[in-house]
Amino acid sequence: MSRKQLDMTLLVLAVAVCFALPLVITSPTYLQILILLFFYAYLTTAWNLVGGFAGVLPLGHSVFVGIGAYTSTILSNQYGVSPWIGMLAGGVIAAFVGVLIGKPTFRMRGAYFALCTIAFAEGIRVMIENIDSIGPIKINGPRGLLIPLKGDSFWNYQFMHKEPYYYIILTMLLLVVALTWFISRSRMGYYLAAGGEEPEAAQALGINVARYKLISMAMSCFLTALAGTFYAQLMLYFYPKGLLGLDLSFEIAFIALIGGRGTIAGPVIGALALRPLNEFTRIYLGSQLPGLHLVIFGTILILVMLFQPKGLTPPLARLYDKFAARITGEGGAK
Amino acid sequence: MNILEIKDLTKHFGGLTAIHDLDLHIAKGEILGLIGPNGAGKSTLFNCVAGVFPPSVGDIRFKGESIAGKKPWDLCSLGLARTFQIVKPFGSKTVLYNVMVGAFLHTGSTSKARDKAMEVLETLQLDHRKDQLASNLTIADRKRLEIAKALATDPELLLLDEVMAGLRPTEVDDMIAIIKGLRDRGVTVFVIEHIMRAVMALSDRVVVIQFGEKIAEGKPEDVTKDENVIKAYLGSEYGAA
Repeated sequence: MSRKQLDMTLLVLAVAVCFALPLVITSPTYLQILILLFFYAYLTTAWNLVGGFAGVLPLGHSVFVGIGAYTSTILSNQYGVSPWIGMLAGGVIAAFVGVLIGKPTFRMRGAYFALCTIAFAEGIRVMIENIDSIGPIKINGPRGLLIPLKGDSFWNYQFMHKEPYYYIILTMLLLVVALTWFISRSRMGYYLAAGGEEPEAAQALGINVARYKLISMAMSCFLTALAGTFYAQLMLYFYPKGLLGLDLSFEIAFIALIGGRGTIAGPVIGALALRPLNEFTRIYLGSQLPGLHLVIFGTILILVMLFQPKGLTPPLARLYDKFAARITGEGGAK
Repeated sequence: MNILEIKDLTKHFGGLTAIHDLDLHIAKGEILGLIGPNGAGKSTLFNCVAGVFPPSVGDIRFKGESIAGKKPWDLCSLGLARTFQIVKPFGSKTVLYNVMVGAFLHTGSTSKARDKAMEVLETLQLDHRKDQLASNLTIADRKRLEIAKALATDPELLLLDEVMAGLRPTEVDDMIAIIKGLRDRGVTVFVIEHIMRAVMALSDRVVVIQFGEKIAEGKPEDVTKDENVIKAYLGSEYGAA
């Protein structure tokens, strides 16, 4: 068996297991945990397009989740538009807002850019919390929006069981991972990496760094907003503090940093490592010490940054290389 | 035909005049050396030509077309590439990746970019390092990588900013051979260099600048005998002798 065949076999196997899981795990609680795991893996993969490949650190991506959720919900609650269409509309608006935020802020580097995105995100959250309605559009301020139950209906993006949600988010995750895989191997991926690492050198090689960063920001925001609609339809209720707050933005960044920024598997590995931890600390310790999971996240982040500054993916990749070399009998697999 | 023409170029930074009223031209296929003491304005001149700074006054023409105020990435597409005095490799990536970034200028296909990058690496005898991380290279190889990246964009005019600084004498000889090889492939080379042996061996013509002004121009052997040049480098008492 060659290395390529081994990679493919394992990949197909892993995907097949993911698709088969709901046949074994029927408890809605556990399914919900898995759904949220995929949801975070998806969000982080979308974030990684700009936060990983383009080498900047946006810390306000919850805004785009919010834009997705609010757009599709307002359109379906007040205008009867299917959330599937609202999802695309939310994506387009998020991409537009992302470019609007990115255009002036991409000039800044490092922590300044990160701070600026936090400021934008918090500003938008405070605005939403203080607006009851814009003209005919009901926003409902801090109380958030409720989606009325319409029963099992694909068109209305509502299901009485967890399985459809599971398959939707799994498909979205697979597609977005495939997209990043494709981008990282294309000219765009090379240009983003070059522009993120040495902008001046990249410009001298014919790369309009600012433009490529904006394109990646637009794509990332579009994809992030799609997950916002998913979240709204899964929970059927959301409010600004929970959805637009910094907790969500930071958790996305945590997952990326621990999993491995700028790698394809990183966000998925990060979500696999952190989400169960998050759920269980919340379930077992949440009542005594709320917020403890963030302390644990922080501790893990410090440890990972100290011992594996590039995240968990590179050491795992090396382990896999060794394993693959033994299976295929090839000495120096790369 | 002149591939590059600089007319009355002046560049101010606030109250400081880094380049003053400079005229310069490079013929197609030529190797032009630019020398001058530290702070003479050599790198500023390069940065003006490469589009990093727009000139304050004057015009720069590349292949007959005015390029003053154009951005670095546009100039690169026109066929003007440069290296940096302080090398700027994409350190976390492999050598091949670095060169492919340059090679993507003329193709959207990853496999074509890889072929092009391999071809350039072979020309620069760097192909045996292709899978190493750029940050792990020796200084000599980093300088070569810097040239390889620029060369992968298929430039007609290549600006080399001190690519021999910090090299051992044998490495300087290798680099001289490489740059001459580039010229034989039809690339016009404009080179800033401090190592006089290299300048003498390489250049068809040398331009000397001091305090942002041109003080001498001509064949390498004539320029080194020029009184102004000796003064600029060694101080006025030597010039009088």
